[in-house]
Amino acid sequence: MQRREKIAAEALYDMYSASLYGVIVRIVIHEELAEDVLQETFIKIWNSFNSYSAEKGRLFTWMVNIARNLSIDKVRSKDFRNQGKNQELENNVTFIDEQRNTVYNPELLGIRDMVANLKPEQKSILDLVYFKGYTHVEAAEELGIPLGTIKTRLRMAIQQLRKYFNE
Amino acid sequence: MEDVKAYIESGILELYVLGDISPEDKLQVEQMAAQYPDIKAELDDIAQLMERYAGEHAIEPAEQLRQKIMNSLLVNLGDDRNFIKQRKHTDEEEFEDDKIITLPQRNQFYKYAFAACLTLLLISIYGLVNLYSKLQDSNTQIAALQADKTRFANQVNLMDSQLDMYRDTSFKVLKLKGMPKSPGAAMVLAWSPVNKKVMVDVQSIKLPQHDKQHQYQLWALVKGKPMDMGVFDNPTGTDTAGVKEMKNVALADGFAVTLEPTGGSINPSLDHMVVIGQF
Repeated sequence: MQRREKIAAEALYDMYSASLYGVIVRIVIHEELAEDVLQETFIKIWNSFNSYSAEKGRLFTWMVNIARNLSIDKVRSKDFRNQGKNQELENNVTFIDEQRNTVYNPELLGIRDMVANLKPEQKSILDLVYFKGYTHVEAAEELGIPLGTIKTRLRMAIQQLRKYFNE
Repeated sequence: MEDVKAYIESGILELYVLGDISPEDKLQVEQMAAQYPDIKAELDDIAQLMERYAGEHAIEPAEQLRQKIMNSLLVNLGDDRNFIKQRKHTDEEEFEDDKIITLPQRNQFYKYAFAACLTLLLISIYGLVNLYSKLQDSNTQIAALQADKTRFANQVNLMDSQLDMYRDTSFKVLKLKGMPKSPGAAMVLAWSPVNKKVMVDVQSIKLPQHDKQHQYQLWALVKGKPMDMGVFDNPTGTDTAGVKEMKNVALADGFAVTLEPTGGSINPSLDHMVVIGQF
């Protein structure tokens, strides 16, 4: 029983840790805290696995939402404020991407080109919501854009992704 | 069908996948998805796209983090870092199970560690006390040895001077013999007319015991007249320093010893004479 659990946990980790960490580290920025959040994320996933049901959606969607919520909690917690790492939000994604670029897998060059091809406003909305943990309402305020436009742009950005992946 | 398309176009499905949606809207989306396969398909599609998007932006966490997280998922032994607040709420029972397993182990470890420390401390104290008493012993021995050394050095000096006396050919040895009242009494002294020294051989003194109010007094007989040469005590027990130097005299026909009140007298009490010797 324990052995089976071990195999399952390792498979889960190996399959999803990098994707989840990519999201977490972009929100939390600070590496040590991001590692804490990744650990908390896996513990939460592991312990509430029973509450996940495949009918409700993809496993990754469920996990990444846990990761994102924990990351946002961390960013808003005292811990994070004490780090004094409140850089300008827009800069963070590029900052992290530049820093981390070298560890990406080679196929990533493709997606980076593609994301670069997204219109800047689409990219920034997608990244703000997906990688910065903004709600679309906050993103609208931040960018000074009506809510409806935010939703549209978000959808357009994802349509672009679809086009890219299907090519 | 137009409604479904509009619903899809509204962007609410994207927000649903991103988890950025109110509970009411969430419920609505789920109901719509259950009702319209197109919506369900679109939802799955978006979710898959977002997963791929995340996959493309994946960052490998540090290698050692894997082990740490595996441990926190599987072992849950005695490591506080594994007990993160969220677990308490999501899985109360398991958390309590862990508590029951881990606490005694931690306690036991500290118990043994404490016992080991205490034992070491006691051994150390015992060792220190032992060492200290040995040090004290050594110190007393050194003191005793030093006293011995001084005593021997003194004795050697004394013997040197005695030897000098025997080497000096000018010394004359005179045996003083007992008087009729004290036939057993005897004493030997050496006198050098050249350097005027008079030495009493303490070991040779065999005189009757006297009390504390009296001392023996040596007299030189100079042309028939007694001359004070100083007082001395009958040697007692171990106090047998080889020779005792008396006062100086250049001319003497003989020597005699009388018993006098402590400190000596100006004139000898002739009836208390114990030994006499003449050249």
